[in-house]
Amino acid sequence: MALLKVRFDQKRRVKLAQGLWLLNWLSVLAGTAVFGLGLFLKVELRRRSDVMDNAESHLVPNALIGAGALSCALHALAGRICYDALDPARFARWRPWLRPYLAACALGHAGLLLAALCCLLLRGSLEATLARGLRQGLRFYRDTDTPGRCFMKKTIDLLQIEFRCCGNNGFRDWFEIQWISNRYLDFSSKEVKDRIKSNVDGRYLVDGVPFSCCNPNSPRPCIQYQLTNNSAHYSYDHQTEELNLWLQGCRAALLSYYSSLMNSMGALTLLVWLSDVTATTGLRYLHTALESVSNPEDPECESEGWLLEKSVPETWKAFLESLKRLGKSNQVEAEGADAGPAPEAG
Amino acid sequence: MAPVLPLALPPRPRVRLAQGLWLLSWALALAGGLTLLCSGHLLVQLSRLRTFLAPSCPFAALPQVALAAGAAALGTGLAGAGASRASLDAAQYPPWRRVLGPLLVAGTAGGGGLLVLSLGLAAALPGSLDSGLEEGLGAAMAHYKDTEVPGHCHAKRLLDELQLRHHCCGCRGFKDWFGVQWVSSRYLDPNDQDVVDRIQSNVEGLYLIDGVPFSCCNPHSPRPCLQDQLSDPHAHPLFDPRQPNLNLWPQGCHGVLLGHLQGLASTLGSMLAVTFLLQTVVLLGLRYLQTALEGLGGVIDGEGDAQGYLLPGGLRHRLKMAWLQGGAARRPAPGEAPPEEAPPTEDPPEA
Repeated sequence: MALLKVRFDQKRRVKLAQGLWLLNWLSVLAGTAVFGLGLFLKVELRRRSDVMDNAESHLVPNALIGAGALSCALHALAGRICYDALDPARFARWRPWLRPYLAACALGHAGLLLAALCCLLLRGSLEATLARGLRQGLRFYRDTDTPGRCFMKKTIDLLQIEFRCCGNNGFRDWFEIQWISNRYLDFSSKEVKDRIKSNVDGRYLVDGVPFSCCNPNSPRPCIQYQLTNNSAHYSYDHQTEELNLWLQGCRAALLSYYSSLMNSMGALTLLVWLSDVTATTGLRYLHTALESVSNPEDPECESEGWLLEKSVPETWKAFLESLKRLGKSNQVEAEGADAGPAPEAG
Repeated sequence: MAPVLPLALPPRPRVRLAQGLWLLSWALALAGGLTLLCSGHLLVQLSRLRTFLAPSCPFAALPQVALAAGAAALGTGLAGAGASRASLDAAQYPPWRRVLGPLLVAGTAGGGGLLVLSLGLAAALPGSLDSGLEEGLGAAMAHYKDTEVPGHCHAKRLLDELQLRHHCCGCRGFKDWFGVQWVSSRYLDPNDQDVVDRIQSNVEGLYLIDGVPFSCCNPHSPRPCLQDQLSDPHAHPLFDPRQPNLNLWPQGCHGVLLGHLQGLASTLGSMLAVTFLLQTVVLLGLRYLQTALEGLGGVIDGEGDAQGYLLPGGLRHRLKMAWLQGGAARRPAPGEAPPEEAPPTEDPPEA
């Protein structure tokens, strides 16, 4: 008993072929879009690789790129097949290839679905990478004359300005590291000497932040230094002041940016997957409808199309049988080869 | 009297003319669309920089007129494509026959007029940007501290964001901030002797400092940003006031914005020039096609040679007649004076 049988007459077959041709070329465009999205995500991850310790995983964009390219190629071929389907002579040369081709399509769609799920689920590793990378970045902020780290100050400043964030989890992260290089400290000043002596590791720690943490929405000029000392600034209370600096940490800001990017890409890829599955199902129906044309001389006759020739359990049993036969045929050949030289030897 | 600029159009060249016109009309539609996009972009940029441009600066008129001119060119291009396509097909031409005359007049007068006006504006207006930007930026800097005055409360945020985005400081340079009180009196401690001294030493009672806001800081500098006491060489260790370039942004916002807006205006001007040329060619071609087809009586498939022209013959004569008749009506006529001119001669058929 065939699965989901549908009757087709000539007109319906022609309509199906034409509709499928259009749907397949639209799927090619959609596959190109998925490819482009993967490229975009890869470029975005590369741009911020400095604050991700150069250890970020490129699995998601690579999966999108591969799945998009595969989907493009498969659907371009399917479009060509649908175009030829209306002419029996041209369709004849595609006939032997259609079964393996449909199997390849099924695998391709599984890959696309996996890529979409990756997009939506693989966020945890990004958070850990960002936390580590930003911590390193903040530590190297002052090393503007160390080769290999001299760009870190510029990177962190531009990051904080663009993403409207300050520090790793908040602006207090800047209080725990020395972000002013010793080159610019006046060691003859008493204040500097006291601060360094009072610190166990001999670091110059201040309760201040770099200028890139400043919030332009604040009504007063930015207060960057002596942030916890209310008496240092007129009419200032550090516990109620909210507009002076950016309150969000850069880890949360970057994570939300990449999350929203990957969420929208995942949703779009799922939609593309749905349309691809529809196109392949239609192609299967067209294939079986054309195969089951009982009289090849009469193109006007009706035929039936189906998804699977037998029901699902029977198809699965037949598939396992064919696998076993494949194994057995190898065995028989081997025994035959053994039996061959043996009588000769004996 | 002979028609103006006649051109013989046998059937084959007529078809070629129609086909060439179809291509050029689509090119005109594309150019009109691009002009629309360009002027829209300029309009969006200007709306974002509205605070920094003096209200008296007429520059905003350019993108608005260019928008209308681009839309007119797009419409002319689409109509021209439709008309030239129809002129190749006998069944489709009759409805276009009636529309073509008014279309040509509208295209020449309306579209052409708008394009010429916008070209003129594109040539003349960018000169007014210099003083407009100077006035606008000066006013914004003066209102930087007025974050609680209605009407000016956004000046600080907008100016900070401008300096951060365009990488500039002050109007012509960072020293402009030394001449403006950018710290609001609300945040000045009246008991601080230094503050009192500064205010008293200033003629207008302003609190002026040799410091700049944080948005002037340059992230490329190797040392943390130095914002205050910029004229004092001993205030910061190892700081050389003769070389402040890496510490703050060196260029002023006036130069940056002027270059940006003038670049956009010159791009728009070149787009308008290309559109104008295309529109002239398309309208001329349509006129010749129209008059040639009218010469055949509106029958497309006719094999006869037709003559296309710009303006019909005898136009000058008829204009003179109309002028004289108008003059005679204005003069108090004592009686029915017979017309002095002979009746007009036979004119070639005119659409």
